[in-house]
Amino acid sequence: MSAALRIDATPSRDSPTPLLELRGICKSFPGVKALNEVSFAVWPGEVHMLLGENGAGKSSLMKVLCGAYNADAGEFIHHGTKVAIASSADAKRLGIAVIFQEFSLVPYLDIAQNIFLGREPNGRIPGTIDRRKLYRDARRVLDDIGFDIDPTVTVAKLGVAQQQMVEIAKAVSQNARILVMDEPTAALSDRESELLFRLIRRLKADGVAIVYISHRIAEVFALGDRISVLRDGRRVGEVDPARTTPDQLVRMMVGRSVDISYPRNFAATSGKTVLEVVGLSTSTGIADIDLVVREGEIVGLCGLVGSGRTEVARAIFGADLASAGKIIFDGHEKSGGPDEATRLGLALIPENRKSEGLALMRSVGDNLVLAALHKLFPSGLFEPRRARRVSDDLIAKLRIVTPSARQTVAFLSGGNQQKVVIGKWLAAGARLFIFDEPTRGIDVGAKAEIFALIDQLVAGGAAALLISSEQAEICHVCDRAYVMREGRIAGELARAELTEENIVRLGMHHG
Amino acid sequence: MAETAPAISAHPLRRPPGVAIVLTLLVVVFAAAAPSFISSTNIANVLVQSTLLLLLSLPMTLVIMTEGLDLSMGAVLTLTSIIVAIVSLSTGSMALGLLAAVTVGTVFGLANGYLVAGLNIPPFVATLGTLGMAQGLALIASDGQSVVGIPRSVTEVYLASLFSVPLPIVIGVVAYLAFHGLLYHTRFGTYIFALGGNREALTYAGLSPTKLLIAVYAISGAMAGFAGLLMTARMNAGHPTAGLGLEFDAIAAVAVGGTSFERGNGWLLGTALGVLAVGVLRNGLNLLALPSSIQVASVGALVILALFFDGLRSRS
Repeated sequence: MSAALRIDATPSRDSPTPLLELRGICKSFPGVKALNEVSFAVWPGEVHMLLGENGAGKSSLMKVLCGAYNADAGEFIHHGTKVAIASSADAKRLGIAVIFQEFSLVPYLDIAQNIFLGREPNGRIPGTIDRRKLYRDARRVLDDIGFDIDPTVTVAKLGVAQQQMVEIAKAVSQNARILVMDEPTAALSDRESELLFRLIRRLKADGVAIVYISHRIAEVFALGDRISVLRDGRRVGEVDPARTTPDQLVRMMVGRSVDISYPRNFAATSGKTVLEVVGLSTSTGIADIDLVVREGEIVGLCGLVGSGRTEVARAIFGADLASAGKIIFDGHEKSGGPDEATRLGLALIPENRKSEGLALMRSVGDNLVLAALHKLFPSGLFEPRRARRVSDDLIAKLRIVTPSARQTVAFLSGGNQQKVVIGKWLAAGARLFIFDEPTRGIDVGAKAEIFALIDQLVAGGAAALLISSEQAEICHVCDRAYVMREGRIAGELARAELTEENIVRLGMHHG
Repeated sequence: MAETAPAISAHPLRRPPGVAIVLTLLVVVFAAAAPSFISSTNIANVLVQSTLLLLLSLPMTLVIMTEGLDLSMGAVLTLTSIIVAIVSLSTGSMALGLLAAVTVGTVFGLANGYLVAGLNIPPFVATLGTLGMAQGLALIASDGQSVVGIPRSVTEVYLASLFSVPLPIVIGVVAYLAFHGLLYHTRFGTYIFALGGNREALTYAGLSPTKLLIAVYAISGAMAGFAGLLMTARMNAGHPTAGLGLEFDAIAAVAVGGTSFERGNGWLLGTALGVLAVGVLRNGLNLLALPSSIQVASVGALVILALFFDGLRSRS
């Protein structure tokens, strides 16, 4: 489908050779091919946009560029000569600077000290710093990028946008000719973004090449001279923004292969409402969340990483306090914390099952009864035989592959660990299951089993809210889905409208 | 992100003055309660007595700025004060005693640094271990007894004056100036802020956080060794429990002085004021003839009070 859209544009370039060219870069991690034959070039004075879904390989590519990862195969050509980028020192020598979302600034040093960290001008006495030169040089760098601020201000006092400017100043002061930016506007207001864009245009005019990773369709078109789209570790195409529409871009990004073979039986009629959320807001950054989950339904909650999905789950569960809005569970308004949620029959199956969902060094049996202790042993006395009966039942029912209930959970496979977490909440009598990325890090076969299990749960009258970055999964198993963008619900998709394209379109700054 | 200079104070060292408020309060209260408090003799006395704590608190500030802790300081001071006593007793030389003390202190500091930075042992545990070893060695070296008969050249360090200023005060001022220069005017000092604030930034800049951290602990050990000389001079003996609990006073002075235990947010002048606050408090309670048990409890209360004032400031 997307093959027809591969517009290998060759826009006119001032310089005949690229500043940096990557050819056939591969990088694998156990079980994942993060980068697969990626080729990519940047010319001086242009902004090369890098676009792709979560997990498409953008961060891996960035880490290869700055020397944090070593590529398994492929070559780098800098100014027409073959080079190696094996360390951050290599990258620095080639003039490559990366600005990560997590800044590398020291909070209680001032702007000048941060810009020249490790490169301080020497004072007269060995080991001392020529402070006058330090601040003079800093002033010059800041003037160069048009950032009017006193270089003696401590970085801890700066806002995110200003800290980013300091990072850019630091890169510029090291004569960076290739600037790689990872979603630089993610934490900026519109006005701050505009200032950043002005700076980027200025750097461009100076002949700096910029690799810009973004999720925002609007800025991709506003700023990009070229757009590369990554998907599943491959570069699926490079397009000229002047000759491409947002819709074409979205179509290039989606289309990951569906690797779940589990067929779901979608219920014709929906059951009674289990959970209703009205106008929910929290201090963790979500606002005005409205959603409904009914018996027998699997409802998807999608959006980009950082769009607030996990925060919604935590707020519903009571792990974060609501600053506004209502959470109605089974017709009753719920106001308490996780304790109350568990008692009412809510289960949160967190993304990080090893640290949050399981007592890893305890046995399968112990873990299975952990959330149901109150219910199983109201007297407060633990009865081993009763616990054993309950856990053996669950092991059989969920087909958990384990030698016995006494096996330590840490030794189970990812899929089986996930089943133990689900079993734990089943024992506690949960009726609404919130799954946060339940299939992350488990193999394809186990994925199908997990979905079969979720289907089995909802067929038995429970309800499920499923958070996943795998849009194909959402489309495959969900009755409906909500798409989040920047802390809000951007839209709801009914079963018939549930396509990857629609999810991406709603989840990005566009359409 | 304003294009014009934003309304941000350009003084990175401007701090919530919790410690200044507390110090002023203490001086006012004690001056009212005990008239002899503000006599020049007594003020000199407070300063002289505070020197020892200052010598520990200055390097403790650097250690805490790296998000670390050096619990072994008091015990290393005890050990080195006994070493000063033994070496000066057998050689008659103050200088040799000092050299031996600083050497042993530095070895302990290097060991702490290696345990913390090289082996990644939490500072609390690592320095608690070396605390025990230093204390044990002090007991072995002294056989559990005070080492007496110290040569005059050693006791002179505490009793002599330079241009009619008591020598300990001169030592304290010089030590403060040296640490101020080190922290605020050298590359090494700049990197101390980064050790606590963002170690990755150092790595990106091609520096070794491990080596820098070991150096910070080594300075801490060397200073404990140097302070050992002053302790022996002051007690006119090497005593096997001389430095007991001094690390807690040092940590208290640093905390009172407004240095944070996180993110490399340190303030050296605050530490000096914190040392004075602790010194004034102990001296004042002495003048009022209150038992020393009250003094111990008051230092604890002082920490809480100073942090309370800082908290009030930063919240408003």
